[in-house]
Formats: sequence, C-alpha cells, structure tokens
Amino acid sequence: MRMTGRRLARREFLALGAAATLLPRSLRAQTGVRVATLDWALLETLLAIGANVVAATELLQFREVAVKPDIPAGVADLGLRGTPNFEALRLAAPDLIVNSNFYQWANERMSRIAPVETHSVYVPGQSPYALSESAALALGQRLKLDSARRFVDGARAELERLRHRLGGGDGRAVMPINLGDARHFRAFGADSVFGDVLARLGLQNAWKEATSYSANAPVGIEALAAAPDAWIILIPPHPLDALRRLEQSAFWNALPAVAGGRVLTLGPVNPYGALPAALRFANLLVEGMLDARNG
Amino acid sequence: MHGTVRCGAVLPGRPLANWARAGVALVCICAVALVLLTRPQAPGSTELAARLDQLYLWHSLLPRLVVAIVAGASLGLSGVLLQRILRNPIADASTLGIASGSELALTAALGLAPAALDVSREWVAFSGGIATVAIVVGLNWRRGLDPVAVALSGMMVGLMASALAVAIILARGEYAMSIFIWGAGSLAQQDWSTALSLAPRFVVGLAIASMLLRPLTLLGLDDAGASSLGLSVNFARLGVLTLAVWLSASVTAEVGVIGFLGLAAPAIARMLGARTMKQMIFAAPLSGAALLLVTDCAMQLLSPGFSDLAPAGATVALLGGPVLLFLLSRLRGALGAPGRIAAAPARELRRPHLALALLAAGVVLLVLGAVVIGGGADGWMVATGRLLEDLLVFRGPRTVAAGAAGAMLAAAGFLMQKMTGNPVASPEVLGVSAGTGAGLTIALLFVPFPAPPIMLTGMALGGLAAFLMMLAISAQSRFSPERLLLAGVAIGAFSMTLVTVVLSSGGMRGFVLLTWLSGSTNRVGAFEAWIAVVSAIALIAPLPFFARWLAILPLDDDAGRALGLALGRCRLLIALFAALLTAMSCFIVGPLSLIGLVAPHVARLLGFQRVLQHLAASILLGAGLLAGADWLSRLIIYPYQLPVGLLASLVGGPYLIWLLNRTEKLA
Repeated sequence: MRMTGRRLARREFLALGAAATLLPRSLRAQTGVRVATLDWALLETLLAIGANVVAATELLQFREVAVKPDIPAGVADLGLRGTPNFEALRLAAPDLIVNSNFYQWANERMSRIAPVETHSVYVPGQSPYALSESAALALGQRLKLDSARRFVDGARAELERLRHRLGGGDGRAVMPINLGDARHFRAFGADSVFGDVLARLGLQNAWKEATSYSANAPVGIEALAAAPDAWIILIPPHPLDALRRLEQSAFWNALPAVAGGRVLTLGPVNPYGALPAALRFANLLVEGMLDARNG
Repeated sequence: MHGTVRCGAVLPGRPLANWARAGVALVCICAVALVLLTRPQAPGSTELAARLDQLYLWHSLLPRLVVAIVAGASLGLSGVLLQRILRNPIADASTLGIASGSELALTAALGLAPAALDVSREWVAFSGGIATVAIVVGLNWRRGLDPVAVALSGMMVGLMASALAVAIILARGEYAMSIFIWGAGSLAQQDWSTALSLAPRFVVGLAIASMLLRPLTLLGLDDAGASSLGLSVNFARLGVLTLAVWLSASVTAEVGVIGFLGLAAPAIARMLGARTMKQMIFAAPLSGAALLLVTDCAMQLLSPGFSDLAPAGATVALLGGPVLLFLLSRLRGALGAPGRIAAAPARELRRPHLALALLAAGVVLLVLGAVVIGGGADGWMVATGRLLEDLLVFRGPRTVAAGAAGAMLAAAGFLMQKMTGNPVASPEVLGVSAGTGAGLTIALLFVPFPAPPIMLTGMALGGLAAFLMMLAISAQSRFSPERLLLAGVAIGAFSMTLVTVVLSSGGMRGFVLLTWLSGSTNRVGAFEAWIAVVSAIALIAPLPFFARWLAILPLDDDAGRALGLALGRCRLLIALFAALLTAMSCFIVGPLSLIGLVAPHVARLLGFQRVLQHLAASILLGAGLLAGADWLSRLIIYPYQLPVGLLASLVGGPYLIWLLNRTEKLA
C-alpha cells in the first residue's frame, strides 16, 4: 500500500497532464466579466472554463485540499467559506457573484455588491456530476465563454477514455473513504461526486447506505468488513497519525482488502468538488488501479 | 459486575439503595449481553465471516466494553475528587477546563506540529490538560487555592481554550473540522492499547485516592478547620487536584471529551447510598463505569450495522443530563458544602455619573471607529465617501448588533449574579445559551437551510424551553442558588449534546452549527441588527423597576422574606428577563457568553456599587467589549475573521482574573 502511495506521487503529475489539457489556460481572460464566488465547486468550474475570477473563499485551504486547478495570483481571498469577508468582496469589485445553495444565506447581502446568480452542484437526491455539467454550461453561457462546452465534452471524453483504459478493473467494487482518525472514516455514497465518477468508470461503489449531502460520517472502521471484496480507496487529506495507527490495528490488517493489498492512497481531492475534482479523482484512481494491477 | 456487589458490601445496607444497586448491575449485565449477542455480522463466505467476527469480538467489541468501564470509572473518581477539593457539587473536569485544554492542545498540534501527534497523541492532550490546570492553579496560588476562585478561573480558561480550538478549526477549514467531530468521545476500538493504557492509570489513581482518604475527608471542612487538624491545606489540595487531572486528562487523550460524567457519577453514587468519603471513592467510579457502559451499549444497539449513530461521549450527556435532573428533584437539604461565595470588596466611585457618561462616550467613539476603519489589501485603511457608504452596509449592522448583544449579555449576567448571589453565574451556567443551540439544531432538522427568522424563532423557543424546564425543576426548592446553577448546568449539557450529536453527523447542518458555535457576527444584516437593538431596548428598559429586588436578593432568603418579598415570584420574573436577554444575544454572537460574566464584574471593580449604576455600567461595558471585539475580529487576520466571542473571551477573561487578584491585594 505504501509503495503504491509513493509511486502515485510521481505518477500524479503524469496523470494530471491529461486533465490539464482540458483546462484552457490560454483562454483564461484577465479581462471580461469579473466573477467572484463563495463555493469551491463553482470556483474550480469557473477556473476550468477560463473565467476572470477576482475573488473566492479560503484559498489557502483550497490549495491543500483541492490542489488543482491553480489559483491565479490576482484572486483575492475572501476568508473562510462559513464567514466570507464581505468587505474584501466589495473591495474586489466583482461584476457578478455566483453562489450555491450552501451559502444561500449570503445572497441578500452580496446582492448589494453585485448581481448574484445561484448554481448548485450538491442537491439531495441529484447527481453532482450532471449538476456540475449544467453549472459549467450555464456559467459559460452567462460569461460568453465557448470553452465551457468544450470543457464539458472534454471531461466526458476523458472519463470515457479512462473507462476504456481501466477495462472494468478487476470486477471488484470500490469503497472511496476519507479517514477522520484511526477508527472512523467518511464514506461517499452514490450521490457524491466520487460515486458519480465510479459509475462512469464502470466501477461499483461498495458503500450502499444512505448519505447526507453525499457523505456519511463518522463511520467505524468495522463497517469496512461489510465489503470484504472491495478496494479501499483512501482519499487524503487525513490526520497524520491516523494511517500509522490504523496499520497497527489487528482488525484493519485482517480485512480482506488490506490483507489482499487492495488499498490505494490517492492524492488529495475535494470531496465537494465539481468537474475538475471528478476528473482529478478519476485520473488518480485509474492510474493507481492500473499501477496496482501491473505490480 | 462483581465490583457492584463489592460496593454493596461496603455501603450501609438500606433496603431501597440495595435494590437500586442490584438494578444498576442488572441493567449493565443485560446491556452487555445484548450487545454481545446482537453484534453485527460481516457478509461474505462463512469462513471469512467467522474469522472477521472473531476479530471484531476480540479486538473491537470487548476492548470497547472494557474502555467504557475504565474510562467511566476514571472520570467518576476524578469527579468525586474535584468536587471534594472545590467543595462544589457541580465541579468536574470541565469546571477546571481540563477537557478543553486537552482538546485545544490536540487541535493546535494538528496545525502547528503534526509530528508531535505522530509521536504521541496521548501526551499532547495530556500536556494540554495539565497546562490548563497549571494556569488555573498558578492564578490562584497566592490566595490559597480558594475553591470558588479556582472554579471561576478554571471555567474562564476552559472557555478560552475551547474558543481558541474552534477558531483554529475554522481557520483550517474542513480538514481540522474532523478533530471536532471525531474527538467527540467515541469509544470505538481496534485493539487493546487504549484499555491497557487506561486501566493501570485508574488502578494507581484509586490506590492513591484510598491512601489520601484522611486528607480528603478533612478537605471537606473549611480551611481553618482543616488547618487546625494539622493538614497542610494547599499541599493536600494540590496533590488531589493533580491526581484528578491526571485521571480525566488521560481519558480525554485516549477517547476524547466525555462530558458530564464526572458530574453525574458522584451524584448517582450518592443516590445509591454512598455517604462517607471512603464509600464515595469506590461508588463514584462504579457509577461512572455503569453510566458510560450502558450509554455506549445503547448507542451500539441503536446504530445500524457497524456504524456509529453518535459518539458515546456526546450521548452520555443525553442520559446523564436527565439522570442528574432527576437526582436534583430527589435530593433534600444541602448539596454537600457548596463554597459560600464572597464578592471581593472594591472601592466606591466618588462621581459615578461622570464615570458613566465617560463610559458611554467611549462606547460611541468605539462604534464610530469600527465603522470607519477596516482592513484592506495593504493593511488598515480609513474609508470615506462612496466606499464608506458601501461598506457601512456590512460594518454598521454587525457593530451595532454586537454592541446590543453585549449589552443584553451583560444585563443577563448582572441579573443572574444578583439573583443567585453567585459570581460564577452567567447565561451559560443558566443553560439558556445552550438551550438556544438546541432550538437551532431542531430547526435545522426541519429546514436544512433556514432563513434568519426561522433560526431566530427556533433559538428563542429553545432558550425558553430550556429555561422553563429549569424553572419546573428548581421550583421545588424555591429557586435556591445552588439548585438553579445545578439545574442550569444539567440542561446546558443536555442541550449541547443535541448540538454535538448533529454536529458530529457533519454535512451542512454541522457546518451551520459550527459557524453558530464560533460566535461570528459576519452574517448579521440589517434585519438582525434591528432585532438586536429593539429587543435590547425592550428588555433592558424595564430592568430599573427591579432595582429594589436586586438589592435585596443577594442577601440570604430569610432577610428577603423579612423585607416582605415573594421570593419565588421575584426570581421567576427576573429569570425570565435573563433568559430572553440571553436568547436574543446568543442569536447574534453564539453561545460564548463570557461577556455576561465579565461585564458586571468589571463594572463592580471599577467602583460602581449602587444597583442601578452597577447595571448601567455593566450594560455599557458589555456593549463596548463586544463591539470592540467585533472590530478587532475583522482586523487581526484580514481577510480571514476571528469569531467575535473568541476575542471577547480572550480579552475579557484575563482582564477579569487580573482585576480580581489586584483588588484582593488592595483590600
């Protein structure tokens, strides 16, 4: 498992090379409609379709958790997603603010700065991938960026390419999890972006239980025994000592997936992301699984 | 289980208590048996399923049961020791800030020195708990570790520690949110390491406690009595304190915060017939073990499959709260020997009206400054003209609302301190600020993304419900100060449990609650500001009519009755005002109500002695403190923002401790 993790760090770069071609860097306008957003899923969508983003929330943490896309230097940090700094937003002087249902409470206040439009990626019972696509297309139309359509089509093609490359994997289900500590994890259901990607890659999600806004936490490690045949996919970031303690646990080591070497540690992916997060997850996952298959 | 039988042999054989003890033992046995028999089974091939089942039983389930017993026992012992040395029936690890200190250390280590966590999570948490107690003890050393002063500063330091922890969590976003969620006292185990590390500590602790029986018994007397019996009071108290901290900090380090257990266990032990210190030292750990074991078993039985419905640490308060409330209604007479709280004397101002005018002018200047000066990309800047007009929309409401909330908190704290004659009283102790949180939580269960009016309604109802429940319970004792405080603590813990359980399920509800918990004024708009101002005026304006009652109530009950007061009715009316004031201010700045504790103290220490002057000065100070804290919260880490409650407690807490010490010396 550790070996896979190390190799991934090297491979990550290659894997994302493909995804990077989908991000029309050259198209990124430093002119055009000045957009600001509170939502990370919308932020990465905007960056991916080359919008002129002037302000967004929690950029320090975004670089740690979502990693990609890169944030251009000029984008103003608005502080925490839970407490966005309206003064900083006003000083960034956006022409348009796009927001999601998560931060709906702020709409009335932000509308004093610029018009606010809502595009939601996470709605109970709906596919975040489909909503990510509609959000990207709607934003592209609103901002008059043709790159949006190309990005959405490109993402589909990319997932299709990855599905072919994977060739159904080894037929086992996959359990993407995010460790909270050495005893608990967060599971991602069919209504998460990870669940969507698994379906599009022709893989089965081993987590069948109900979720609340796509994730389910905290779940005891024992629950992994309910899916003995599945792959366990660890999605960082997780607490440093969690994995170390886990590896000392008799129960963990006796799990068929662990004993059989079916544990993959990917690079960090934003679990509440949109298309760029979906592509990042798909690339990291397929690379990891192919690596594991080829030894 | 056989421990319970042994306990029965130690305790005097009253028939009712014997039946109760047998009943507790039976419930424990049944709970354990049910958990073992109905343990979830892994699917798959029979051979694999059987192997996993054995692993689950021997490496997960059994250690978990043992940890529940040992952790519960440790906390019970720690609680009885703390209550004895503080002479305070509502003392436990949280009164000293041990749990909060440990949690802060873990949170800070996650951000600053992850390598330390890699070496030993336990020692990081332990050093946090010890450091908190060292601060509390250091602050009170010169005054002979006066029980009331220790509890007062312990609660302050604890509040500051948890506020800082929340601030770090917020500043690090989702990643560190985990420690809050996962650290909520889950007993799930993967091996025997936690059980093996906790059990010897408890045995050693119990042995030391039995050796300290004589000093412990003597510490129940007052200082002079204990000294005349040849006991070095400070030394004995320090020794017992260290032992109690050691016990509870190790539990916090291993399994997270398990609230309320150190409080409930000794109370249950007393109900089951324990009277002497010797009996308590054995009965309290047994009660704690039984309570935590039954709680955790109940959670396992209710949870689907292998997942955890809610962490036991949070849930135990759901059981512990009602248990304690029940006890409270059954307890007759004095609750041990609660520390009689004497207010430190302070000088009286010669020209109080001029001083009040100066205070008011200061508050106005502060508000003006907060509106005009703010952060920018290149440091602080003074806004003028069009920009000021635009920014006023954001700065104005939050500054005004913070000021109004501070005024209401100060008034609420003033009323409660006068009413109970207890300087530790504050809206938080009344349980109302936590009650508003429970109301918000329930509102969130019905409406995932509530608009402010819905949130406000939920919180007001929650605060009022918590308060009415408290009144119903304490009505039996005519609202004696001790019972009011104890009922408030129980309801507060019960309400915060609801909040924690929903918070630990994560998702959007958790996020809304976390934001509210941190006490941010960032979301305040014109609507909330108007609500705050109007309710502040409406609720504070009638207070001068209570002036005579407020002057009399701090005297003892007989004096009040002799002066012709219907005590029950007076207290009911005043408490109602205090509850409404708290609910309104909690809506604006969250549950961190240190202002309600601090402002009346500072006002009194500044020399405002007469009731009305004291009230007015408290309100002005509260408004100024919170408006100033709000201003700073925008400036310090721009564009990120600190929670205003955090700043208020970081500035107000140390100031109060310093002032109390200084005045003592002058006098």
